[in-house]
Amino acid sequence: MQFSRDRGLALVALVLGLAVALVWVPLDSASGILEQSRRRVSVGDAAAPTLAALFIIIGALLLWIERVSDEVSALTWRNAVYLLWLTGVLGLALALMWGLGPLAARLWGAGEYRLLRDTAPWSQIGFLCGGTAMVAGLVGLVDGRLSGRGLALGLVSTMVLIALYDLPFDDILLPPNGDY
Amino acid sequence: MNNFVKAAAAAMALTASTIGAAAQDWTPPGPIKLMIAFAAGGGADTQARLIAEDLEAELGWNFIPEQVTGKGGLNLAMAIKDEPADGTVIGMVVAETLGYNMYVAEAGVTPEDFTAITTTAGFQMGIVARAEKGWTDFADVLAAAKGGEAIRFGTMSDKLSDLAYLLGRENGTEFNIVQVRGGRDVLNGVNAGDMDLGFMAGIQTAGVASGELVNLASALSTPLEQTPDAPMMSAFGVDYNADGYFMFIGPAGMPDAVRAALARAIEGVVTRDGSKSNGMITKAFGGPAVLQGEVLDGFLAAEWAAAEALLAEASQ
Amino acid sequence: MGALDYVLAGVAAVFLGPEMFSLFGLPVSLALAMVVLGFLTGILVGATPGLGGPMAMAISLPILISLFGYSADALLPVMGFLIGVMKGATVGGAVPAILFNTPGTADAFMTTLDGYPMTQRGQARKALKVAHVSSAAGDTFSDIVLIVCAPFLAIMIERFLDLPEKTALLLLSLSFIATVVGGSAGKGLIATGLGLLAAFVGTGEDFYPRLSFGTEALSQGFGPAAVFLGVLIVGELFRGIEDLWREKARSGQVTQYDLSGDQSLGWADLRRLAPHIGRSALIGTAIGALPGIGSSLAATLGYTVAKARHKPGAGDPKMGEGAPEGVAATEAANSAVSGANLIPVLSLGIPGNVAAVFLILAAESIGGFTPGPSVFRFTETAVNPELVIAFGLFTMMMLANLMNWTVGGVFMRSLGFLVRVPRQLLLPVVLLLTLTSIYVETPRFEVILFTLGFGVLGYLMRRVGMSPLPFVIAYILGGRLEETARQAFAATGADPFFLFNRPVALALMVLALLVIVWSVRPKGEAS
Repeated sequence: MQFSRDRGLALVALVLGLAVALVWVPLDSASGILEQSRRRVSVGDAAAPTLAALFIIIGALLLWIERVSDEVSALTWRNAVYLLWLTGVLGLALALMWGLGPLAARLWGAGEYRLLRDTAPWSQIGFLCGGTAMVAGLVGLVDGRLSGRGLALGLVSTMVLIALYDLPFDDILLPPNGDY
Repeated sequence: MNNFVKAAAAAMALTASTIGAAAQDWTPPGPIKLMIAFAAGGGADTQARLIAEDLEAELGWNFIPEQVTGKGGLNLAMAIKDEPADGTVIGMVVAETLGYNMYVAEAGVTPEDFTAITTTAGFQMGIVARAEKGWTDFADVLAAAKGGEAIRFGTMSDKLSDLAYLLGRENGTEFNIVQVRGGRDVLNGVNAGDMDLGFMAGIQTAGVASGELVNLASALSTPLEQTPDAPMMSAFGVDYNADGYFMFIGPAGMPDAVRAALARAIEGVVTRDGSKSNGMITKAFGGPAVLQGEVLDGFLAAEWAAAEALLAEASQ
Repeated sequence: MGALDYVLAGVAAVFLGPEMFSLFGLPVSLALAMVVLGFLTGILVGATPGLGGPMAMAISLPILISLFGYSADALLPVMGFLIGVMKGATVGGAVPAILFNTPGTADAFMTTLDGYPMTQRGQARKALKVAHVSSAAGDTFSDIVLIVCAPFLAIMIERFLDLPEKTALLLLSLSFIATVVGGSAGKGLIATGLGLLAAFVGTGEDFYPRLSFGTEALSQGFGPAAVFLGVLIVGELFRGIEDLWREKARSGQVTQYDLSGDQSLGWADLRRLAPHIGRSALIGTAIGALPGIGSSLAATLGYTVAKARHKPGAGDPKMGEGAPEGVAATEAANSAVSGANLIPVLSLGIPGNVAAVFLILAAESIGGFTPGPSVFRFTETAVNPELVIAFGLFTMMMLANLMNWTVGGVFMRSLGFLVRVPRQLLLPVVLLLTLTSIYVETPRFEVILFTLGFGVLGYLMRRVGMSPLPFVIAYILGGRLEETARQAFAATGADPFFLFNRPVALALMVLALLVIVWSVRPKGEAS
């Protein structure tokens, strides 16, 4: 019997399910499966996640014995390389989005960013740059190089989003302004 | 541009309204984050959002509402605790959050870690069943329970579950207490027949008016406005009550001037006839109920003490 | 209020609700205008390769909520737009499949089998007309079944099922969806378990937010928007971008075929197609009524049955070589799924497909309407507002169908140009739009990170052949399942065997087990 890719997945799921049921849930919830609190017996917080783990474990066991179609899709190292690139591009874009606004406010001495978080242009600097970087970066990832086309598209789409959300609605905040 | 329009609107509002004069001595240094401890779209959430809208229209302040739900308001309390206390972060909870819920959670915080700003409205908390059950007051329920019928009692907080337990114990019987997330769930449960009766905090008003539901008892320290003849829980040997209010809070250490300005501003809109929030509160919660300052602090201290006593009583 | 009064109140809520503008002196309500707008948007995105109904619903929801707020008045316009998108996208999806052999969704794939050969023979317009008529017919039929069935089913459920039975029913639904969606029961159950797990992080009754590793970020749980949009939309985007990344040297050339011959769709044609449309509408409706079985299976079944029944005359094309019957059978079947799919949503609160997931998300976000059996309480004295809204929804669905019959065909036939929108430019913009929309609704930065995390999960699931639908449905039902089970336990006086010592609950549990056992039977002998 050959060790198919689905069986690999089954093994991963089995380990995950057991880890959830035996380690994560018991250590990370405040009550057990049934709980005697004061005078009542009630269902505790660990019950539902244990059921979830049970679904995963049963699924893993079934997947092990199941014979499914031949068209097995599987992960390869190329997927991992892609995910790394993707993480890099998105991480950079989100870092710009998060940090540029407060940085600009500090450099220009405009005051505490928290109080400026719905005041243009401070509130839009981070989103404009981060959003542009995200679009341009992903277009560049597909094209194999950064291009003016991607940058222009990023700039236009972030500006459209600002016009869509920030200008008409007072109580709506663009990322990252709700966190300040 | 928005800010300019708002400033102009605020200027006009200031000349026109009397509330403006009271709150003039303080203006928020930036937008105010309004945390809401209730699910979007419900009565409590709508109330908070309408108060914010009214304040924006009258004073030109800018509110940014945000849902921080769960754990009977404690999620909000824990989130607001470490925010700046300059009046730019406030939250709406129920008084029970700083009372019983906080006491029983043993979360390492007390009401001292917060600034209670003002209450806005009270609950008309009753014990309610469907009319077709044939019960007219809570004594009928007790009779049925003693007759051997298994009675399901719907509640929506730990405190109410304790009260339901005491109501049974003091009368020599026991209920199957079914605790759910909120008042709407109790109403749905009672309507679907999943529960026989339950605590409802005002959501029963329309049903009682139409005769589908019956207020079997008042869970307050006072009679219910809609059915003043319904007995009190004290008639059944339970000397605790479920008096409760919607309440704005902030982090501890809020300057007195800020606290007073916020409280007055909120009081101004919820008590003014014709404001959106006043209309909503009158319709859904029987009118505004405002406690502030020392009165509010005193109420909360009494609630904290009552929580301790109730918990000890219910643990026996 | 009697039943008829509720129907009328629902119709009135749509037509006489808040007014948007007036046309020739007649007021046009917001809800009405939003259905029309949504329907046109739906056709547009359905006809754009790489986009689809769910994506448009996901992105437009936060915008709609910003526009209309959280009041009860917001429900009908917002749901109207989403229903419009859902229906429009179903029709629009046939456009790229027929004109360019590029099916945007799995169920449009069967449309290409005969649609594209028709285009190659110069009959593109006729193929689009066949697709349109069949789709509109299937959709309308399905909606009528929904409107007739859902209230009765809901009333039965509410009358006969107590808390333990409701718990058992949820477990049955989960095991059914897990084993039926996608090819593999094992993978379906794993996805279901993961979805439940996601629902249970940070929630629970204790003060300590369970499974949060003690962190602030996880203490409020993941939130439905991050989970749904992450797994369903962002995961799909990640996969799409990778596909483009791998085939960098894409020509972007699209072959054009000219029209030749008669493009009209006459009565004779319709009479010939009618039995195929009718049969497929029935198949699609029956399949749609079961939660979790998507339109792909309906399309495949509809097509297969039509192929078996099809006897082409001399000179007529065979199925698979450009027969209008193939297009009709496929489109009627997959369109008939959408209406019937709302039967389990409205009567049980159990969603069966992605569109229903977003309708539930809309209802949850706005509040005031909880899809499920409690909607259909025909209260006599006090008005049940949820029931009025339910009939408002039905009214809007029929309105969208009316739109479909009248302007839908013309509009869809004008959209062939959309195939030239380059996907490598479209997908990144959609990603930014999705993330921004989520943040606008829940302004916490970690929600963006959660969404991307679930996006990676959705991507991985797609790569290992695991359908994301059981995951999402389990996430929706997880909270309900736990709450119902807790209540059932308390209501039965802490009886740990409440699932097994009552006949109906026991029967449902046995059924749940049988579904799983049946699904892993050796495939060779059964088929």
